[in-house]
Amino acid sequence: MPAEMRLFVDEHVRYIQSLDTRKDELEYWLTEHLRLNGLYWGLTALHLLGHGDALSRQDVIDFALSCLHDCGGFGAAPGHDAHMLYTVSGVQILATLDAFDELEKRVPDGRQKIGRYIARLQDAETGTFAGDEWGEQDTRFLYGAFNALSLLGLLHLVDVDKAVAYIESCVNFDGGYGTSPGAETHSGQVFTCVSALAIAGRLDVVERDKLAAWLSERQLKNGGLNGRPEKQEDVCYSWWVMSSLATLDKLHWIDGEKLAAFILNCQDPEHGGFSDRPGDMVDVFHTVFAVAGLGLLKYPGVLEVDPV
Amino acid sequence: MAPKKFYHDDPAWSDVEPIPQDDGGPYPLAAIAYTDEYREAMSYLRAVMAKNEASQRVLALTEHIISMNPAHYTVWLYRAKTLSALSVPLSEEIAWLNPTALRHIKNYQIWHHRQTIINQLGSPKGESDFITSMLAQDSKNYHVWSYRQWLVQRFNIYTDEELAWTESMIDEDIRNNSAWNHRFFLVFGKSKDAIPSQEIIDRELDYAKSAIRKAPQNQSPWNYLRGAVRHVKLPVSTLKQFALEFADTEKPDEVFSSHALDVLADVYAEEKGMEEQARRALELLAERYDPIRKQYWNYRMGLLGEGRVV
Ligand SMILES: [Zn+2]
Repeated sequence: MPAEMRLFVDEHVRYIQSLDTRKDELEYWLTEHLRLNGLYWGLTALHLLGHGDALSRQDVIDFALSCLHDCGGFGAAPGHDAHMLYTVSGVQILATLDAFDELEKRVPDGRQKIGRYIARLQDAETGTFAGDEWGEQDTRFLYGAFNALSLLGLLHLVDVDKAVAYIESCVNFDGGYGTSPGAETHSGQVFTCVSALAIAGRLDVVERDKLAAWLSERQLKNGGLNGRPEKQEDVCYSWWVMSSLATLDKLHWIDGEKLAAFILNCQDPEHGGFSDRPGDMVDVFHTVFAVAGLGLLKYPGVLEVDPV
Repeated sequence: MAPKKFYHDDPAWSDVEPIPQDDGGPYPLAAIAYTDEYREAMSYLRAVMAKNEASQRVLALTEHIISMNPAHYTVWLYRAKTLSALSVPLSEEIAWLNPTALRHIKNYQIWHHRQTIINQLGSPKGESDFITSMLAQDSKNYHVWSYRQWLVQRFNIYTDEELAWTESMIDEDIRNNSAWNHRFFLVFGKSKDAIPSQEIIDRELDYAKSAIRKAPQNQSPWNYLRGAVRHVKLPVSTLKQFALEFADTEKPDEVFSSHALDVLADVYAEEKGMEEQARRALELLAERYDPIRKQYWNYRMGLLGEGRVV
């Protein structure tokens, strides 16, 4: 491998650490609605790079808990409404930092409260989940609910069978899944459905070979992966597609070396971070998915990753 | 850019005591810096939310904040609550949403908001034109297509007109997978188990075939064709003659579509005494026409002895 193909670990760690000090930049407040997710992404990337201590554990826990509402849901930042997406990030942050005890100390009955908030968002009729009381539904929220509840050890609070049946109703003619029944198959949505089924122990309902064939077709000649047929490649899909393939035991169906080279080409070797494709602006979202993708490919310098 | 709008010197807002951002107190990660204009508008929003105020000025305030940051979901939520409390004519809301959505095409809160409003209005009138103008900017936008599907289901628009519109989208870009998916949804999706008439099946197979003849390596119509055959429970051998138009295992230098080889591999795998032909097709894929997925094609070769196909 040529020299420029190495992974610039120190630069990426500095990039993630710097994110929180860029507060005078316009983009910082425009992405406020993603603050808690961003924190989780940054934290995960640092953990995978072996620098989990680069952010202060206590500061991260304090911030996460400052986003927790009485109802048991987390908002994106203090003062923002509770929503499934941030609740999942909140739980993931606490799990990553092994901080559920601290949650109980500061919020009596905290785990149960959070679990009940998530359980309330299940649609009793269809089995899927809404993002908030407003009612928007998406298989992303179903996966988020399963993920957070299994981390909390509270999956029994929801109707798992009904949710699984809902995922089955989302399967398309190409073997993949969309946001709701009939909606176009999309790699991100395939990831959410396959991962939710894996958490539920119900991968038996997936047409493994057909779906994995569709997923492997996402690889383009340049090594990158796209999210849907006839679309451009993008680093975030390396995670959605690869982790789905790994869950289905078919990761070897794509060319890992070519993909690793594509991902490494998306680095900013000077200031750290990854972009969606070579030459674009870096961001924390694509950084975590790039690093996690390299982890799945067992790239040296990155911890191995659990696909779900 | 619009001139900045502030509330502290606006007499219409003099009765409101703004509530500044609680930036998480002593926690350094939580301190968030804003532009003055956004910060002030948000502090007035917090104040009206604390009093549960529903009024015209709240609508104006949410509109202002959305223009600065459409991704702030709390604002949309409060706007929807205010609209229903005020019984504002919802067509006015749609008239405002149209240009707003065009400015923020990737934002999904707008679509959910729109769905809520149209659902209450109870009529899809004008929505088709609006969607067409959105797709003119980004013809594969996932939110727009999902919204279109919701409209079809909500108002039962499984019509010839809808099909013709979908066809025009495919004509515009034959590689638009979203448009192909919408077609499948219209023709086969209304009820999962119902099989359409022979006439419709023939029409659909012919439609996909003619699209493939225009661009033999295009994945979307191949997926459509195979999906349709499977949906109506026809054997894959139905597609043998068609696939031979683009590939023949006897003529390895004249392959015009790897997807045709893929179909032939499945056809031969099921055909008695043709296992070698199936193997030949898969070898051509692994070595020549789709080597990046070599492992997948090798896996398929391994299945041949077992009489299984993917
Ligand atoms: Zn991306």
